[in-house]
Amino acid sequence: MNKLIVEICIGTSCHLLGAQDLIETIQELPEAERARVEFQGVTCLKSCGKGPNVRINGVTIPSVTPQQLIDIIRDNLFK
Amino acid sequence: MDQLHAEVGVAQLSKSGEELCGDMVEVVRTPQSTIVVLSDGLGSGVKANILATLTTKIAASMLQRGIPLEEVVSTIAETLPVCKERKIAYSTLHIIKISNQGLATIVEFDCPASLLIRGDQVLPFPCQEKIVSGKTIREGRLLLQKDDVIVAVTDGVIHAGIGGLLRLGWGWEGIAAYLTAENLVGVSAEQICRLLIHCAEGYYIGKPGDDSSVAAIKIRQPRYLTLFTGPPTERDSDEKIVKRFLAQPGKKVVAGGTTANIVSRITGNPLAVDLDYPDPDIPPIGHIEGIDLVTEGVLTLNAAIDRLNRKDSLSHVKLQDGATLLARMLLESDTVTIFAGGAVNPAHQNPHFPSQLNIKLQVIGKLQATLTAMGKTVVLEQF
Repeated sequence: MNKLIVEICIGTSCHLLGAQDLIETIQELPEAERARVEFQGVTCLKSCGKGPNVRINGVTIPSVTPQQLIDIIRDNLFK
Repeated sequence: MDQLHAEVGVAQLSKSGEELCGDMVEVVRTPQSTIVVLSDGLGSGVKANILATLTTKIAASMLQRGIPLEEVVSTIAETLPVCKERKIAYSTLHIIKISNQGLATIVEFDCPASLLIRGDQVLPFPCQEKIVSGKTIREGRLLLQKDDVIVAVTDGVIHAGIGGLLRLGWGWEGIAAYLTAENLVGVSAEQICRLLIHCAEGYYIGKPGDDSSVAAIKIRQPRYLTLFTGPPTERDSDEKIVKRFLAQPGKKVVAGGTTANIVSRITGNPLAVDLDYPDPDIPPIGHIEGIDLVTEGVLTLNAAIDRLNRKDSLSHVKLQDGATLLARMLLESDTVTIFAGGAVNPAHQNPHFPSQLNIKLQVIGKLQATLTAMGKTVVLEQF
């Protein structure tokens, strides 16, 4: 099964805008979901003014909140 | 001839009951040499401290301005007041000058002989008596080798334990025997000083009978570090600057996400980013093959400056965040070259972000000042 690739920007702006909360959100996903996510860090997604930024399967999503990230991951996993 | 680095360590004890140490040590680095001036003021407390400070400051300032050693010695010898009752000078003077090629010149006036540690032997540094302005001094020159150590002590260390644990005190020979018995391979100048001063404190049973100071100078290969932070103003110069960065000697550190991406793109080595936060205030570190440390930019640099100013915290092995790792590497280096790119990230101009983010060059200036104050040579290149 192909894994969902989730990249979280941990650059300066995204860090200050809450990237760490997004990382914790993914780490706390239920094991069954967590196992289907390939989780990586990146240093810049070139959208610094709209952080925190996440790239899911190659698509950059700006200003993501932890709840939105869970919703987006579940939408992608169960569609 | 290859350049050598003189690593300097200092440790001091004040006489029991005194807040100020009556000994003073000044370290001066010029482009050609490292100079250590040690002085022991007569008596103890404030008076001794003032006398020793005057002597070291005069000598260090003159030497820093390039005035020849002989002239400095004669000026001090002529001006150094003599105590009318005891007929001795109000302070001692010990000057150790090491050129970048390793040539050591030592001048001793009224102070214990310098110790030379070479291999497993501890010897008196070879000096000869000489009369300067009517005063007898001892002067010596020797071409040092890598791993040689020169140790200078004040008489408080020589007399440690006198009348107590040791009837006649530790003595020069006692110190030499102690240094011979210790395995000093790989031990830093600072550690050698701490070893000696702890031992002296032990002989004094925790109540030093005199101000005691140790200065050690260890000769070794210089350690270089280059820090690349911030993308170049002109994007066209990325490749040229990264190639120059990679050709620098010693350790290489990249601080900044975009800078790390540039280095990764030009070297073709992927950038892997950790997702662990050993410190919640410091963004995680990254990894690029061939680069010793990859960190976030301005927040990490600022925190590294704070950590450099609180050196004790760096010894905690548990601390593994980017700022601590960077501070440790900077602390171990003698010459730090900073490649500072001038490109500004407009997103950092957010009024809700910490103010230091908008003024990265100011942070780099602060880092340069902190490292320079620690006796390191800092070269700043902006592009």
